[in-house]
Amino acid sequence: MTAADPPLRLRGVTVRFGGRPALQDVDLEVARGQFVVLAGPNGSGKTTLLRAALGFLDPDAGSVALFGDDVRELPVIERARRVAWVPQEETPRDDVPLFDYVLYGRYAHLGWLEGEGATDRAAAQTALESVGLGDRAEDGILSVSGGERQRAILARALVQEAPLVLLDEPTTHLDIAHQLDLLDRVRSLVRDRNVTVVAALHDLNLAARYADRIVVLSRGRRVADGPPAAVISEELLARVWGVVADLRRDPRTGAPYLLPHHLVPTSPTAPGTMLGRGPVHVVGGGGSGAPYLRALSEAGYRVTAGGLHLLDSDLEAAESLGALTAVEVPFAPIGEEVRARLRTLLASATAVVVAPFPVGPSNLPNLEEVAGQLGRIPILLVRRTPGPVWDFTGGRAEALVERLRRGGAREVAGVDEVLATLAALATPRPSSTPTPAQ
Amino acid sequence: MGGLSAAPGAVPRTPGRRRWVLVALLAAIGAGVFLSPVLGTYSIAPETVLRILLHQVSGGALYPNPCAGAPVPVSGCAGLTEIVWDARLSEVMLAVIVGAALGISGGTLQGVFRNPLADPFLLGLSSGGTVGAAVVVVFRVGVSEQNLLLPLFAFVGAVATGGVILVAARSRFGSVETLLLTGVALSSFLSSVLSLMLLYNPTGSLQVDQWLLGNLGALDWTQDGIAFGVVLISGTLLATYGRELNLLQLGPDVAQSLGVDSRKVRVRLLLLASVTTAAAVAFTGIIGFVGLVSPHVVRRVAGSDYRVVLPGSALVGAGFLLGARDIALLAFPGTLLPIGIFTSFAGAPFFAYLLYRRRRLSTMGGS
Repeated sequence: MTAADPPLRLRGVTVRFGGRPALQDVDLEVARGQFVVLAGPNGSGKTTLLRAALGFLDPDAGSVALFGDDVRELPVIERARRVAWVPQEETPRDDVPLFDYVLYGRYAHLGWLEGEGATDRAAAQTALESVGLGDRAEDGILSVSGGERQRAILARALVQEAPLVLLDEPTTHLDIAHQLDLLDRVRSLVRDRNVTVVAALHDLNLAARYADRIVVLSRGRRVADGPPAAVISEELLARVWGVVADLRRDPRTGAPYLLPHHLVPTSPTAPGTMLGRGPVHVVGGGGSGAPYLRALSEAGYRVTAGGLHLLDSDLEAAESLGALTAVEVPFAPIGEEVRARLRTLLASATAVVVAPFPVGPSNLPNLEEVAGQLGRIPILLVRRTPGPVWDFTGGRAEALVERLRRGGAREVAGVDEVLATLAALATPRPSSTPTPAQ
Repeated sequence: MGGLSAAPGAVPRTPGRRRWVLVALLAAIGAGVFLSPVLGTYSIAPETVLRILLHQVSGGALYPNPCAGAPVPVSGCAGLTEIVWDARLSEVMLAVIVGAALGISGGTLQGVFRNPLADPFLLGLSSGGTVGAAVVVVFRVGVSEQNLLLPLFAFVGAVATGGVILVAARSRFGSVETLLLTGVALSSFLSSVLSLMLLYNPTGSLQVDQWLLGNLGALDWTQDGIAFGVVLISGTLLATYGRELNLLQLGPDVAQSLGVDSRKVRVRLLLLASVTTAAAVAFTGIIGFVGLVSPHVVRRVAGSDYRVVLPGSALVGAGFLLGARDIALLAFPGTLLPIGIFTSFAGAPFFAYLLYRRRRLSTMGGS
């Protein structure tokens, strides 16, 4: 254990539970004084990683070192001097006073049969005060609220005076105020005492707000790693969690902020799977899309919309329905960034409705992107009423619509037919399964 | 605590009351030991008993003629002294030793298993002892030395049962629940082995029955001494594990993260509790409910700190068994009622009461 040794280092760690790998070949090195968050869906290996770091389980391959020494070779008591643990939930048996509960954290520092001395007692009281429980020392651990219990456990980790603290989803049972409170305290622990913290957290927005570094696990592998701004992305959320989300930025902290919207459809082409309520993307503009957005939303579909320009009334309708959108500044041609965003939305949609919108050079990319989806998901083309000119692109829009038609897009007339067609698509047709000839 | 930044008054201390409870218990048992020999099948005046005891304790310096003025049997004052000192006091001391052994074992097992209903009997330790004793009786092993062989076999039987549970504890899948179920299964298995043995050798059943009922009498100072020596050593070692047991109550993982080698400590405690129980049951047979009830009484009075619960359970167990002996003699004068009957008689209603309060117990581990 020298100053240069990292608090936690995993090398090629693989852990299997009855053949099922919980961690696969994970490398991780945590530097001193960092607040590292482990993120990932349920069952991605976060807890297993923490348990391996605590020496609770023997990796099937690879090694775990605490401050340079293999954890499995350290005596249990020495491990406790190096690393403290705040579990997701503790099930104490007895209504022990909080003070005594916190005092348990001194065990690793006491000799055989040595009682807790004045120093230990003072440390416990200070720790209780630092988590805001200074006046609750005599209350029983089973009598206090879940938030207070979690803070008492944090206080116990504090008096353990370990330079590394591992937290396993410590905020799970806490309300939002207590979540912020607990993580604020952990954050100041890192800042004021130069403690290294590794915490498994479910809430990516909390992770982005507090972490110096986010390590994303997926199916036991490390799939992303870096500062929150570099790691958190819509693409990551879709790939790892299977959720389509809106990435914003917290105006005060500048941290990335995700607004989850809907699940990525598991199989967009299989009829009846997601289509029933699955997201339907509406391409419109100039007010042409609004009736379809409203009708679809009313019928229970989740909707997305775009690309649209700011100030467009379709955008207003979409936002009022809580739809995800791809938005361009007014009058400018739809740029590459918005096209990429539109592609993400289309990729997660189960069907596309093309409203009868006027097409000019600035919004022509919408049709081009829709054409890219031919054969992947159903495209519903709303028939235009003859008369008014709608193609302001010198025939390019007309050609694209013709391509859609030939490529299998269905022509529909009006809102009711759109809903009827989608409903029919959602129900698997009996004829699609081979039946014996009558 | 001078020189510390924290105000001394702000730091809570363990309530002194808990220690006073232990001291008071110890004093009560000491008095009980001196008073209990008054009771027995043969009535002797209390002052004569006290004089005889003081005479013996002081090595003959006090009351040179302790029997003066009292009616003495044919064997004279020496015979009376033999009854009071060798028969009654050794029985009283055995009650104290066995009660303490069962109490501290019960407290330990309830802590190890984090289960308020665990006790030496639930885990099959006593069944193992019974089978060991039955082997001696049924197969007539060394008939002439049965006084020592029977306890030895019973001891081995009980410790061997503990050993089987230990093997389960060492295995990777040795969760607390598995261990508890192993013990329960072992217990009923051993009971059926016992029944089978008695079925084919009905002649030994009376002696085995006597053992099953639990008895304090018919012992001498040698056996007292052996029991005392074993229980003193293993019980003292057990009592040093109070802090570890406190931490184990948070679950094996949390305890380990705080520095307790959960598996190792669990194995040691099971081993020590097995030896302690075995030493007790080897000489007396099965005495139920002392191990179960004593820790609950201590928790109720002095809280759940195992540093208090362990010695406290030993003291309450000792007092319980001593009291049971005395009350049995008071209630049925002139009869040598097997003590096990009496403890079960008093303990069973308490057990029912525990079950009644189970909802709370499941979250509190008893109080």
